[in-house]
Amino acid sequence: MAKSKMRERLASLSFSEKVKILEKLRDRSRTIEASGLRPKATLGAPKKGN
Amino acid sequence: MKETLEAINQMQADGIIGKYAIGGAVGATFYLEPASTLDVDIFVTLPTVPGGLLLSLSPIYEYLKTKGGRLEDEHIVIGGWPLQFLPANNDLEREALAEAVPANVEDVETWVMTAEHLAAIALRTGRPKDHNRILQFIEQRAMDPKKLQLIVARHNLNSKWEQFERKFLEGKHG
Repeated sequence: MAKSKMRERLASLSFSEKVKILEKLRDRSRTIEASGLRPKATLGAPKKGN
Repeated sequence: MKETLEAINQMQADGIIGKYAIGGAVGATFYLEPASTLDVDIFVTLPTVPGGLLLSLSPIYEYLKTKGGRLEDEHIVIGGWPLQFLPANNDLEREALAEAVPANVEDVETWVMTAEHLAAIALRTGRPKDHNRILQFIEQRAMDPKKLQLIVARHNLNSKWEQFERKFLEGKHG
């Protein structure tokens, strides 16, 4: 499947389905961090550019 | 996420926060394909107190700690998600909260900022990942460009938009 079609398909999922994917992505990131393959992401980086 | 949102809704029902809406990457996921993120941005209004004293986020953290929340840097983790609460303290964020749209996650009602407000806040924040998000909204036709332009004009973001346009969009139209 072309990348653009895949993105469209993912974007058309329900929010609940997307949140489940977010949780899988989050867990995968944590597993990679815990393995030491990637430095721990910094939570709490500035988010407001007022 | 279900447990997370239920805790936030209960906190709202208990009067600890006023209106709230999900912003940031999780909010954008309502409109776009899911993108990896480690936390959830929750924009909130805080109840006003007599005398207009400075409001603090402490009551939120204290409340959520009693519900099993665990502090992690400036986040509180509930239901496996680190939450960052951001008081809506300017006109753009207050408008984004007022115009947030209802959403449903696993039968839990919640609120998400509109795509145009998410893009406007990203424009103002201005980190590379924020610019990338705006590009996603544009490329996937996930927002109304006219509505975004009205928000940009209303909140004095014209120069930021012009910079963004010069850097990322010039030569792409036609």
